[in-house]
Amino acid sequence: MGYGRSDSYRVATTQDKDDRSPKKKKGAKDMDDLKKEVPITEHKMSIEEVCRKYQTDIVQGLTNAKAAEYLIRDGPNALTPPPTTPEWVKFCRQLFGGFSVLLWTGAILCFLAYAIQAATEDDPAGDNLYLGIVLTAVVVITGCFSYFQEAKSSKIMESFKNMVPQQALVIREGEKVQINAEEVVGGDLVEVKGGDRIPADIRVVSAHGCKVDNSSLTGESEPQSRSPDCTHDNPLETRNIAFFSTNCVEGTARGIVICTGDNTVMGRIATLTSGLETGKTPIAKEIEHFIHIITGVAVFLGLTFFILAIVLGYSWLEAVIFLIGIIVANVPEGLLATVTVCLTLTAKRMAKKNCLVKNLEAVETLGSTSTICSDKTGTLTQNRMTVAHMWFDNQIHEADTTEDQSGASFDKSSITWISLARVAALCNRAQFKAGQDQLPILKRDVAGDASESALLKCIELSCGSVRAMRDRNKKVAEIPFNSTNKYQLSVHETEDLNDNRYLLVMKGAPERVLECCSTILVQGKEQPLDEELKEAFQNAYMELGGLGERVLGFCHVLLPEDQYPKGFAFDTDDVNFQTKDLCFVGLMSMIDPPRAAVPDAVGKCRSAGIKVIMVTGDHPITAKAIAKGVGIISEGNETVEDIAARLNIPVSQVNPRDAKACVCHGTDLKDLSQDQMDDILRNHTEIVFARTSPQQKLIIVEGCQRLGAIVAVTGDGVNDSPALKKADIGVAMGISGSDVSKQAADMILLDDNFASIVTGVEEGRLIFDNLKKSIAYTLTSNIPEITPFLLFIIVNIPLPLGTITILCIDLGTDMVPAISLAYEAAESDIMKRQPRNPFRDKLVNERLISIAYGQIGMIQALGGFFAYFVILAENGFLPTTLVGIRLNWDDRSCNDLEDTYGQQWTYEQRKIVEFTCHTAFFVSIVVVQWADVIICKTRRNSVFQQGMRNKILIFGLFEETALAAFLSYCPGMDVALRMYPLKPSWWFCAFPYSFLIFVYDEVRKLLIRRNPGGWVERETYY
Amino acid sequence: MQANKDSDGGWRTFVWNSEKKEFLGRTGSSWLKIFLFYVIFYGCLAGIFIGTIQALLLTLSNYKPTYQDRVAPPGLSHTPRSEKSEIAFSLSDASSYKKYTDAMTKFLKKYDDDKQTDQMKFEDCGGKCQLMPERFLKCRDTNCAVCCSLAHVVTLLRMSLSLCFQPPMNNSVEEFLLPKLKPNLIPIFCKNKREEDADKIGEIKFFGLGEGFPLQYYPYYGKLLHPQYLQPLVAIQFNNLTLNEELRIECKVFGENIGYSEKDRYQGRFDVKFNIAS
Repeated sequence: MGYGRSDSYRVATTQDKDDRSPKKKKGAKDMDDLKKEVPITEHKMSIEEVCRKYQTDIVQGLTNAKAAEYLIRDGPNALTPPPTTPEWVKFCRQLFGGFSVLLWTGAILCFLAYAIQAATEDDPAGDNLYLGIVLTAVVVITGCFSYFQEAKSSKIMESFKNMVPQQALVIREGEKVQINAEEVVGGDLVEVKGGDRIPADIRVVSAHGCKVDNSSLTGESEPQSRSPDCTHDNPLETRNIAFFSTNCVEGTARGIVICTGDNTVMGRIATLTSGLETGKTPIAKEIEHFIHIITGVAVFLGLTFFILAIVLGYSWLEAVIFLIGIIVANVPEGLLATVTVCLTLTAKRMAKKNCLVKNLEAVETLGSTSTICSDKTGTLTQNRMTVAHMWFDNQIHEADTTEDQSGASFDKSSITWISLARVAALCNRAQFKAGQDQLPILKRDVAGDASESALLKCIELSCGSVRAMRDRNKKVAEIPFNSTNKYQLSVHETEDLNDNRYLLVMKGAPERVLECCSTILVQGKEQPLDEELKEAFQNAYMELGGLGERVLGFCHVLLPEDQYPKGFAFDTDDVNFQTKDLCFVGLMSMIDPPRAAVPDAVGKCRSAGIKVIMVTGDHPITAKAIAKGVGIISEGNETVEDIAARLNIPVSQVNPRDAKACVCHGTDLKDLSQDQMDDILRNHTEIVFARTSPQQKLIIVEGCQRLGAIVAVTGDGVNDSPALKKADIGVAMGISGSDVSKQAADMILLDDNFASIVTGVEEGRLIFDNLKKSIAYTLTSNIPEITPFLLFIIVNIPLPLGTITILCIDLGTDMVPAISLAYEAAESDIMKRQPRNPFRDKLVNERLISIAYGQIGMIQALGGFFAYFVILAENGFLPTTLVGIRLNWDDRSCNDLEDTYGQQWTYEQRKIVEFTCHTAFFVSIVVVQWADVIICKTRRNSVFQQGMRNKILIFGLFEETALAAFLSYCPGMDVALRMYPLKPSWWFCAFPYSFLIFVYDEVRKLLIRRNPGGWVERETYY
Repeated sequence: MQANKDSDGGWRTFVWNSEKKEFLGRTGSSWLKIFLFYVIFYGCLAGIFIGTIQALLLTLSNYKPTYQDRVAPPGLSHTPRSEKSEIAFSLSDASSYKKYTDAMTKFLKKYDDDKQTDQMKFEDCGGKCQLMPERFLKCRDTNCAVCCSLAHVVTLLRMSLSLCFQPPMNNSVEEFLLPKLKPNLIPIFCKNKREEDADKIGEIKFFGLGEGFPLQYYPYYGKLLHPQYLQPLVAIQFNNLTLNEELRIECKVFGENIGYSEKDRYQGRFDVKFNIAS
C-alpha cells in the first residue's frame, strides 16, 4: 500500500509539471519581474528631461491630441480588477476538493457495481445504488454547507475600485480641466491639493508644503513632505515622487504623470498580489495524505479479498463486485461532514474571539505555523505617536504609553515640567476635532500632524485642557515648522494679566533648539548652559534617539517688556524679534508605542516555538527599538552591530554566528543571494527586517517557506498584501487594515489585536489534535463495518451487517460524538510545545491506523459478531451451523432451511432474524463506540485525569444511544430501514467488549506515560 | 511524502532501504516486534471471543432454542422448489424439467422404504407410517419423467417444522373446508389464485394420508429427541393444467394458530406459478 500511495503521488506531481511547465515558465518570469524593485528613474531626471520623455510642457501640459493618443496607447488609468472566481467555480471547488474526492470515487464505484449487477442479474440488490446515492447526497450537502459557510465569512469588498480617485485636475493646452481620473495619461501635468488622492504616480515639479500619507504603501505612519528635489536613489524614498492612490494630506503640488494604471507602484503591488498562487493549506495537505493512507488500505484489502474470492471459487463478476464493495466500505462517509463541522465550530469560536476566518481550511493553519512575519506599524504598535520620554531637570522621565493609561507616571510637580508642558501646549497647532468630549482623550481624533497630536494628548492628559491654556495665552505670532529652520515658534501673551511681557515658545530639532539657547531651566531655575549641561543634553538626546524615538527640543523666553511692549507688531516673515539666547526647557520624545498585549503575545509565541520576525517599512532604529520593546529581540540578545560596538571592533570581524539577533536593512536585502538569505533566516532566531519594500516582504516569506516553515504574515497595509497572499496564512487587521490587505488575507483580526494571533495558534493546535481524535474515533468503526462483509465472503455466513445499518452508523450515531470531540479541552499546555513538523507530524499516521483499525476496531468487530452469534444461536442457528449456510440462506426459493434444532425456516422468517442481527450488530457498534469516544478523548492522559467535562460529548453519548433505540424500536422501521426491535438482553452482548476497549486503552496510555519514548509510544501514540 | 517528491526512487527506498536495512520503513526486528505484538494481541482477542461464545453456548438448551417467536407460525413449502416462485418447463423437452425430477428424487431418498423398516426407530403406528402416496412412489420408481410428461404435475407439500408446535385439534374454521375436514388432519386446500384461471386448473389430486397433515406427527421435539423423525408429506397432482399459460395456484394449510403474512409468501401458504409449455 505504501507502493500505491507514493507511486500515485509521484505520478500526479510529474504530470502536473509536464502539463503546465511551458505556461508556468512565462508566468513565473512575469512574477519575477514584478518582484523586482520599481523601475522608476524619473526622479533622478531633471524636469526638462522628464518633459522631453513624455513630450509634454511644464506650463502648457499635454495637447489634447497627444493625451488622446497616449490614452489609446496605454489604456485607462485604472487597475485591472483582480480576476474574480465565478461563484460556480467556488462551489465546484467545495464540491470536488479535499475529502469529497474520496466520496465521489466511492459513489462512482457504487454506481459501477450496480451497473454491473443490473447488467448481469435479473433482480439486482439495490444496496449499491442506495449507497451511491447517499454518498452523492453527503458530498453535495456538505459541499453546500461549506460553500455557504465560506460565502458568509468572506464578504470581501471591491477594494481596489474604492481606491481609484474619481476626479483629477490636469493642465492640458495650458488650461486647467477637471477630468475623470481614468483618463489621466503619462505626461499629463496634474495638480493636487490637501485632501486629494493622487491620481497616478507623479514626478513633483513644484510643491507648497505638500505632505502625502504613504502609510498604505510603505507602512510609515508619518506623512511625508514632497518637493521637486531628488533626495534618494530609491524611488520609494525620494521626495519628488507621489504615488498613485496615496493621499495628499496638506499643501499643494504640481507634477508630471509618469505611470498610470497597472504600471504604477500601487498597480504593480496589486497585480503581484492577485497574480500570486498560494499553495495548499497545511490541513489540505494533511487531508490529501490521509486520503492516500485510506485509499492504500482500501485497495490493499480489496485486492486481497478479490484474490481470495477468486481462489474460493467465486465468479469474476462476483469478485469484482466484492472488490468494489470492500473499497467503498472503507470510505468513511461521515468524516467529511465531521471535519467540516469541526472546522466551522472552531471558526465560530475564533470569530467570537475576534479572529474572522475567511477560508475554513485556514482555521488550522495558525496552529501549524512555525514562523510569524509581522508588520510593525499598526500590528505590533498602536499606529499612534505617543510621548514616551521626557528629559528635564537633567533627568529622563518616562511617560505612560499604554493604551489604557495603566502605566507608570512621573513626578509632575517640578516647575520645569509645568514650563515644558506650557511650551508643548502652546507651540502646537494640533487640536481635537469637535464633539468628542465624552471620548477618552487617547481615542479622540486630532487635526494636525502626528507628533503634535502626541504632544497635545500628552499635555491634555497630564495638565488638563490645552484649549483653556491656549485661551489664556493668546497667540500673537507664529512661524510654522519648515525644513530649513527645523523649528517652529510662536509668541503668546502671558497668563498673568498684569504681566505685559510676551512669551516666546519654540520647539524643533533638539540641536537646532539648543543652538538658540544660552540658558537652561533646572528645577525651575535658569542656569547658564555650560559644557557639563550640554553634555548631559547630548547624552539624553543620544539615548532617546537610540530608543528609536523622535526627539523634540523645547525652549522659551519671556521677551523683555522694554523692547517688545504690548502691541508690538511681530513680523514672522522678516523676523524682527529675538530668536537667540532662549532658555532651554527640555526634550520630549515620541514613539509609536507597542500595543499593550503584544509583548505577552510575542512571549507566548516564543514559548510555543514560533519564530517571530518583524518585517517593516520603517527605519531600522525604530524597528529595533520596538522589536526590543515587544520581545522580538529578547533581552540580552545582541545583533552583530551591538557586539561590534561592545567589543569596539569593526562589524566585519564579528562572527555572525555569535549574534542571535539580526537587524537587516532593506537595501542590504536587495544585494543578498538566495543562499545568504537562507543563512540569515536559519542562523538568527530573532530577526528584524527594516525598510523593506512590498516585494522584499514577499521574498522574505518565500525564503521562510523554502526552509520548510509554515509562515503566517500579519500586516495592515497595501505593502503587506503580496506577503499576506503568499503566506500560508495571511492575517490582516480589521480596523486599521487596508481593504487590499484584507482581501489578500485568510484571517482578519477584528480588534487589530496581535494577541488574537495567540488565540488563533491555540485554537489551531487544539483543532488539529481534536481532529486526530475525531478521525481516530470515526475510522475505528470502519473495521466492525467491513469485517462482516469479509466473513460473509470467506466463511459464507449470513451477512451480519447490512449497508443501511452501516450508513446509520456513519451518518447517524457516529456523527455527534465525533463532532463533540472538537470541543475536547487540551490535554496539556499546547502553547508550550513546538509547532508540529509538517513532514513528520501528520494528521493521520500509520500509528493511528494501527490503533483504530488493527486494535480497537478489531475488538469492536468481535463485540458485534458476538451479538450476531448470540441472536442467531438463541433463535436456533448455532455458530457451527452457520458456516457455509450462506447459499441456502440467501436462496429465496428455499423455504425450509433447517436450523441446528431441526426447525425449518422460510426465507422471510430467517431474513427477519438476519435483519435483527444487523440491528443488533449496529447497536453493538454503538455500545463499543461509547468506550471508543471516551478513550479518544485523550491521546496520552488517562480519562480520569482528563475528566468528563465535555458536555457535548456526554450529550453525544445519550444522543447516539437514543438514536439507536429509536431506529430499533420505532414502529415502521422494519419496513423503512429493515431494522427490528431487539430483546433487551441483546443490548448487553457488546458490553464486555466495550469494557475491554476501555481497559485496554487505559493500560496502553498508562504504558505511554510510564515509558516516554518507549516501544508502546513509538508504535501506538498517534 | 517529501522524500518521494525529491528523489525519483522515493518509493523504492521506502520498500527497501538498503542503507538502514529497512523494509517498508521498518527494520527486521521492528517488523518482528510489531508482528509478535499483533499475534499475541489477536491471540488474546480470539481467546476472549471463544470464551464469550462458550459462555453463550452454556446458556443455550440442547433441546429447544431460546426464542421461537420468529419461526412460528409454520411455513408451507413445496418440492421441487420454484425459481422466483415459478415452475416452468416444456413437456417436449426432457432437459427442461430434469432439475425438477432430480430434486424430487433426491428429496424422496429419505423416505425410501428400506429406511423405514427399522422397527426400533419407527414406532408402530398401525400401518400408517407409510408416508408416501403409493401412486406417487410408483411413479417415481418407474419414471417420474413419464408422470411429468403426462402433464400430471406433482408437487410435494410439507409444513415447516417448528419445535413443539402443536396444531389445534378442532379446526372448524372456514365453511368451505367442512366437507374436507377429517379428524386428526390439518387440512390443505389448493386453488387458483386468480379468478379467471378457475377453469384452467383442472383436477387436483391429493395423495398421502388424506388431504392434509396428520396430527399425530406433531409436535416435533427436535433433532435430539426425534432423531429419525420424518416429516409427513402431501403430494398434490395437477392432472389437467392448461398448457402454454401462466397459472397461479395458491395452497394453504388451515388451523387456528397458523397465520398468514402479506410479506412472507410461504407462511402457512404459498403460491406458485406454473408455466408448462407443450
